[in-house]
Amino acid sequence: MTRLINLELNFQDADAFYERLLDAHQGLSPAQSALFNARLILVMANQLGDTALLQSCLDTARLATAEQSQSL
Amino acid sequence: MNNIKPAHTHMQTTPTAYAAAAFTNGYEFTEGSGYQLPEYPFVEPPEMAAGELKRHPIVIVGGGITGLTLACALAQYGVRAVLLDEDNTVGVKGASSRGICYAQKTLEIFKRLGIYERIASKGVQWSVGRTFAGDDEVYAFDLRQQATHSLSQQPPFINIQQFYIEGFLVEKLHEAEAKDRLVDVRWSHRVTAFTQDADVATLTLATPSGSYTLEAEHVVDCTGSRSPFRTWCQAPVTAKKGDDRWCIADVRFKNPPPVERHTWIEAPFNEGRAVWQHLMADGVWRIDYQMAPNADPELVSREDVVRERLNAQFGRTLAPDECEIVWVGPYAYRSECVDTLRHGRVFFAGDSAHVVSPFGARGGNSGVQDADNLAWKLAAVVGGHAAAPLLDSYHAERHEAAQHNVMVTNRTARFLRPADGAERLFRTAAIGLAKRHAFARQLVNTGRMSAPNIYTRSAACVAGSTGSGLATQNTAFAWADGSPGTLADLLGWAQGRLLLLIFGTFSSTAASRLQALTATTPGIRCVQVLAANDRASATEHIRDPQGHVRATCLTTERPINAAWALLRPDSYIAATGPNIDATLVQAVAIAMGVEV
Repeated sequence: MTRLINLELNFQDADAFYERLLDAHQGLSPAQSALFNARLILVMANQLGDTALLQSCLDTARLATAEQSQSL
Repeated sequence: MNNIKPAHTHMQTTPTAYAAAAFTNGYEFTEGSGYQLPEYPFVEPPEMAAGELKRHPIVIVGGGITGLTLACALAQYGVRAVLLDEDNTVGVKGASSRGICYAQKTLEIFKRLGIYERIASKGVQWSVGRTFAGDDEVYAFDLRQQATHSLSQQPPFINIQQFYIEGFLVEKLHEAEAKDRLVDVRWSHRVTAFTQDADVATLTLATPSGSYTLEAEHVVDCTGSRSPFRTWCQAPVTAKKGDDRWCIADVRFKNPPPVERHTWIEAPFNEGRAVWQHLMADGVWRIDYQMAPNADPELVSREDVVRERLNAQFGRTLAPDECEIVWVGPYAYRSECVDTLRHGRVFFAGDSAHVVSPFGARGGNSGVQDADNLAWKLAAVVGGHAAAPLLDSYHAERHEAAQHNVMVTNRTARFLRPADGAERLFRTAAIGLAKRHAFARQLVNTGRMSAPNIYTRSAACVAGSTGSGLATQNTAFAWADGSPGTLADLLGWAQGRLLLLIFGTFSSTAASRLQALTATTPGIRCVQVLAANDRASATEHIRDPQGHVRATCLTTERPINAAWALLRPDSYIAATGPNIDATLVQAVAIAMGVEV
């Protein structure tokens, strides 16, 4: 059965995750950093698995990209 | 760093005696700019004139918010102390940044100390915070909606200038006639040398009439972030220096903005850097601007430059009478934590023990909570109710709290000043998502507001006992005669002893066990907490018809099945238990520092 995307709070500890995420990037070159992110997305996507759910994730990220295009 | 001194244009002349000082609120703002602080007279202590070397059980060094809280708490527990302050006033002349936000837990402590009502009437209550990025609101919170704040009689936060609280504490200490005062406050006393050995600590003091020496059995260092005791005790410090620069402008507007905490992560009117806006007493707003790392502190705090920033923020030129600049102070922050809060006879408390960035108001609040933690332990040990090892639990508990505060504030600092590259990229992504989706709001970190710390590694909190090491809230109940009371009143009634709360009715076997326990343990008082229809079986009982006392003592993540809770004078739970038996007797011993 297809799961719906959850856009409410679902982190057990958002601050701790965010800190670890930034720590993981420390000391990496921009190219290494981008590659790290790519690997991380693939690892996490595999945890979700569900095709429709993954599509919703892509759509959610794409919307934010459009809105933020001026700020980059 | 160049600190801008608050103006002292209308300074009072120094009175010659406490009585003549007439502790009025002489630190109201002057008509012009700046804060007017009260001045307290130097009085030559009798031992100095007599050339006598006197030994004091407790000496507090530093009359800031931490030292004065400790002094007031000790006086309330009936314990004598000497407080030495190098200055002759509250507040710090020339200090760049001082506290304004006082959290519920701190306010509950001030309630017990009898100055809460003054703080509440002078200060500003707030609970709504809003965070903006660019021109958009990213998210808002209302602390009153959060369960962790909901049972207390005190609001989530009150904002007030730190020197008001310090002034109220000084006035509290001077309420009694001079001869009846338990705490001897000695102004204009600077500690110039310190030694300690197995028997005693010795302090050398410089005063306006020369120097003298005194001895102390316990020394509490509340001298702040530039503590000389760190060197004297060779106390190792874990530190992290940031390059983030800020500049505070305390201003008063003719047409005040709303009473809410506003934070901008990327303020369009501050070159995309952060801005904080917060109201405090006397209609004064603290507006705190993040500066470029290479900003010149002297330039950014010049009045015309400050006015330019304010004009940019409000989108028009503010006339001088619309916006009065009360005080300006540039600062850079760092995080520091002394590795061991006890060195022999010396206890580090407040900023001398730990320094954090201001995000979340975790500096002053943790100083007050350090003082509250140490006060009852010192009182119990000096008064002979508890074993000496209880004092070691001060380090275990407050160092854990300090480390937690360092971690939490460093995370905020990192969000507000991300390193170029991945850190900034993730922040931009989080802000973009947060505008649309609730989940990402939790990643936006403009400060995690000060909350009571949890003690998980203290020998004085019973290991494995549910709720042990958690703070309770100042909940309401009814006394046996039906009149309203609060947990703070009940702790006041216990006078620094442990409070054993027995929930509901109990058997005659339990009654005789309790009688035996209280008869042999002078350090505890026992109270039965009755639900609406329970019948009282103890003389000392209270009514808890709404179950709030039970909820704050016995609810962690879900209600627990317990018959009793052992509440400490600092309103923390030492232990809970399902049965009135040997585990209770053992818990009382542990909470009093007895190794079992």
